[in-house]
Formats: sequence, structure tokens, C-alpha cells
Amino acid sequence: MENDRPIFLQIAELLENAILDGSLPEETQVPSTNELAAFHRINPATAAKGVNQLVDDGTLYKRRGIGMFVSPGAREKLRTRRREEFADQYVNPLVTEARKLGISATDLKKMIDAAKERS
Amino acid sequence: MIPAIAVDNLTKRYGKFTALENVNLTLNEHRIYGLLGRNGAGKTTLMRILTAQEFATSGSVAVFGKAPYENEAVLSRVCFIKESQVYPQHLRVRHALGAAALVYPNWDERFARSLLEDFQLPADRLVKKLSRGMLSALGIIIGLASRAPLTFFDEPYLGLDAVARQLFYDRLLTDFSEHPRTVVLSTHLIDEVSALIEHVLLIDRGRIVLDDEVEAVRGQLLTVSGASRAVDEFAAAGTELHRTTLNGTARVTLRGAFVPADHDRARSLGLRVEAESLQELVVRLTASPRRPADAETAGDSPEKEILR
Amino acid sequence: MSRVLAVVRMQLLNWPINIAWPWGILFSSFLINYAIQSALVRQTVGESTTGGLLSIYTVVFVAYLISVSQDLPFALGLGVSRRTFHLASGLMLTTEALLYGTLLYLFALIERATDGFGVELAFFGLPFMSTSNPLLQILVYTVPFLLFGVLGFAVGLVFKRWGANGVLTLSVAAILAIGAAVYLITRAERWRAVGGWFVDQSTVGLFIGWPLLLVVPLAALSHLLIRRVTV
Repeated sequence: MENDRPIFLQIAELLENAILDGSLPEETQVPSTNELAAFHRINPATAAKGVNQLVDDGTLYKRRGIGMFVSPGAREKLRTRRREEFADQYVNPLVTEARKLGISATDLKKMIDAAKERS
Repeated sequence: MIPAIAVDNLTKRYGKFTALENVNLTLNEHRIYGLLGRNGAGKTTLMRILTAQEFATSGSVAVFGKAPYENEAVLSRVCFIKESQVYPQHLRVRHALGAAALVYPNWDERFARSLLEDFQLPADRLVKKLSRGMLSALGIIIGLASRAPLTFFDEPYLGLDAVARQLFYDRLLTDFSEHPRTVVLSTHLIDEVSALIEHVLLIDRGRIVLDDEVEAVRGQLLTVSGASRAVDEFAAAGTELHRTTLNGTARVTLRGAFVPADHDRARSLGLRVEAESLQELVVRLTASPRRPADAETAGDSPEKEILR
Repeated sequence: MSRVLAVVRMQLLNWPINIAWPWGILFSSFLINYAIQSALVRQTVGESTTGGLLSIYTVVFVAYLISVSQDLPFALGLGVSRRTFHLASGLMLTTEALLYGTLLYLFALIERATDGFGVELAFFGLPFMSTSNPLLQILVYTVPFLLFGVLGFAVGLVFKRWGANGVLTLSVAAILAIGAAVYLITRAERWRAVGGWFVDQSTVGLFIGWPLLLVVPLAALSHLLIRRVTV
């Protein structure tokens, strides 16, 4: 858990990441609040807040008496949103740092291509 | 809904010394509160008054809606694990647990026994022969197994090693999840518990200086470093608490309602961003030799260190 | 009431210690007196009375003093009210007093039946403490326990609230009061009358009546003192 932002957001992010990388497929059940709290060693109310955040934005839905499930289409929606955030989170700082180091746009593109080759 | 604790303009004086001054608090049920502050700030005094072990000079306190003094309907629902609890001379561990079992209606004997094993506390040992850590473990076991609707833990970790402390946090969390109650945890080890507690109450020299959700406070303290101009541009977004400069670079600690987007902005300005922990925030709020109230009005002249 | 009983049970958790002290000391005192008396019996004529019985009463005084200093903070720490602790202590003291008083009476009977345990020892049955009625006799042994216990409790509370200084002040005040009384009696040359008064008091009056009369204000004082005790 990191210092820079509320834990409930970090919980929401962790669940989103799991949905994005496929380890939490659509229509599967998400761990309960108490399970999440015990696993991450955080307050259950905080875990609940993180889960509720995802319920509010439609990523998860509640099945009464059973638990929280991943909504159909959640993966696509998340992907789209993250792509929008990608520019602010990664591209802009990358460009600023590159400028500081005097790396031209051409060189930058070469670096990106090389990285993609490797992965 | 009746709050678990309601403190109204509480003041406590010992002769010339003011231990608590105009404290106002409301604590709601079924949450874990962190009661933080330096030694002598007034944390224990507050808890002692809330459990009728000490008397207020002025103001009032209500626990579950009623004054706790000589009120056993209230007191039987409260468990106060003090750092300095007195145990009668010839009492053994099992007697201490037996005593708690007699006075706490929700006492869970099985839970107590499993905790005894967890902490490896010998049931037949004389309490006065226990090491500091074992004494703390005894207090923790009583506090947890009491299942008292309001449980105070006053620095319960003294003498406990990191493994035992983590055991305490884990057991507390698990039990809290399954049997919700109101917990007030007073501690110096803020970073260890910052994920556990929901709400932080910070006392400094008898006054409340912070009373907020941990999640709201988390991320409020940021340290950015880099080119002075970029730092200054970003620093306008918050209150400057500390500044160090070296040649053309600056390192500034800021307090403000920062969100992740602000971090991104700082990074795109070429700055290095470090989020400070809750402990750091607490230290900043309680380290000043001036009273917190004065600091607010004095225009916050930040300490400036010029290194050359 | 159930809460008071719970606190009594709490006090009894370590009952071996509670019983061991008073009777252990009494037994030691008895052994010493028995040994001395068995050495002396051929030399003296008639019964030899000893003050060894006072030991068990003194222990009860000390026990209740210590109880305030240790058991009270422990109980308050566990959420017991001061009033409940006071009542529980009173209940325990009364029960102990009756139990111990009866036991002492029985030992006195054995002593009489065995001619002072074969050495003409008068440890349990003291002439100035005897009365004809068995029930009253038990009370003669019992009531002083109440007095010593309540006194110990009250002094314990003084110590709890005002510390060693408080107890010292109290002792000095008591000594001064006694000193003043002695002075006045001497001045008025009334020692004969004072002595006569004591002799005139019946055993019942001396060991039941007057102590009970003192127990009441002491208990009331304890009630007032305990209300403001902090731990």
C-alpha cells in the first residue's frame, strides 16, 4: 500500500488490474470485503469503499446474498478509460524527461520500437 | 444514532498544568479510531476520563449516551487496556483472564485460549513475573476476548516484537470484521497501523489538532524536488511546510488536497514526487514549538534551510 | 447484585492466598505460644493467657488495606464501579468474619475440652472474652474482624487518595488525639474511673457493641472516600 493516495482507490485499482489482465474474468465473483481486508491487512470499511467505488461506476455488480461480480463489458470499458489516462500518467512525463535529456522525437520512437520488440 | 463517545468541551487540569483543553469529539460505533499524539499529549488522560477512572475539571463525556461515572450498564460495555494496568500481587495469568471473564458479558473463552497459544503466554505464570512484552500480550488478549462494544488499547504493543505486533493487528482485524465493535487504538507506531484505522484523532498538548478520516488525510503531504522554478510553480498548489534549497534546486514539503492527477502534473514539470506517510504528517503537525493554533494565524513562515 | 457477586468471585479467584495469610500467621503464632507454654507449664500455676489471637485480626486489617491498594485499581481497570467494589468487599468481610469467628469459637471449645491442649494454654479462649451464650460468643470473635477489616479498608483509601503523607498525617493526628486524652485524664486524675469503666463493660459490650458502633461511621467514611478515588 502506498502513501500517496487513499487505500480504497488502491484497492479499486488492484481489482481493475486483475480484471484487465484477465485474472478476474467477467461474471466471476470478486473476493469479499473481509477477505480483501484480511489479505491486504487493511480496515474492512476501506476495502468496502474500494469495492463500492467499482459498483458505483458499473465495473462490478451485486448479486444479493451472494456477493460482488464483475460486470459484462467491464474489461473493455476499463481499457478505454486507462488508455485515456495513459497519456497523462506515462506519456507526458516521458516526453518531459526525454526533453530534459535531449532525446529527439525520432530517437524516442526508435526506443519505443526496440522495447516493443523485446517484450 | 447514539455515538459511541461524545466529548463536550472537556478540560482537565492538574494544578497549573492543563492536560486537556476544550476537547470536542464524536466517535461513531463500529469503527477503528487511531488516537495519536506525543508522550504527554493527553491521550491516556482522555481515555481515563472516558472510563471514569479520572474526573474532568470541566465539560462532559458520554459513552453510549450516558455519563460513565459509576454507571455499570455503560462500563460493562467498555474495556480499557491500559499501558500501566495494576495486577494484584499473587495473580496468575489464568486468574487475570478469569477476572475479565467474570465482568465482561461478551467474553469469549475459546478466543482467549487460542490467543494465549498464539502469543505463547503461559497460563500459570505469575503476572508480576511476566516480561514487558508478555504483559502487553496479556492486555491484548483481555482486550480482544472481551468483545466489549467499546475497546480502548493504550499503546498495547510495548515490549512486543514486530512479529507479535503483526499478530495483534491481524487478530484485531479479523475479529473486527466478524464481530464489529468500536476500537480506539492509541499508538506511536503510526505507519504500522495507518491501514488499519479508519479515522485519526491527533492530540497535541491537550488539544485536538486533527480529527479526520485517514483516507481523506492520506496523500495530503507531498514532497517535490527539482528545479527551483518548477518547484515554485507547483508549490502554489499547497501550503508550504518546509523548504530546502541547494544551488538551483529546491525540495519542498507541501500540504494540500492532492489527488493522483497532481502527481502526474508534478512529474510532467520534471519534478520528483514523494508522498509522505501519515506518520510524517503527524510529526509535522506536532513538532512545532509553537501551539498549533498560533501556527495557523502566524502565516506559516516555513523553516528555510539554505545549504551552500 | 449479580455484579457484586461477580466481583466477590473475582476476589476469590486466588482464594488459597486469601486463606493462607491469616490462618498461616495464626497457626505460626499458635505454635510459638504452644511451644513456650509447654516449656513453662510445669513452672507456672494455672492457665497462661497469650495475646497471640491478635495476630489474625491484624492480618485482616492489613489484607483489606492492601486490597484497596491492589484489588481496587485492578477492578476499576476492568470496568467495575467503586460502589460495587465497596459492596463486594463488605460482603466478603462479613462472610469472612462470621466464618473465622465460628472457627475460632470451635478451636476455643477444643482448647477447653483438652485442658489447653494439654499444656494449659489459653490461646483461643481468653477469660475477658468469654460469655455464656454460644451465639454471643461467636459474635465476640466475629465483630472485631469487622472492625479491623473496615479500619484497614478506610486507611487503605486514605493512602490511595493522599499517599504516604496522608497516612502519616492521620497517624500523627491519632497520636496527638490519644496524647491529649491521656493528658486530660491524668490532669483530672480520672484513671481509676477510666479503668473502672472498662472493667464495668460486659464482654458483649466491649467486643460486640462498641466495635459495631465504630464500624458504621468507618464504613460511611469509606463510602465517601472511595467515590473520588482515581487509578
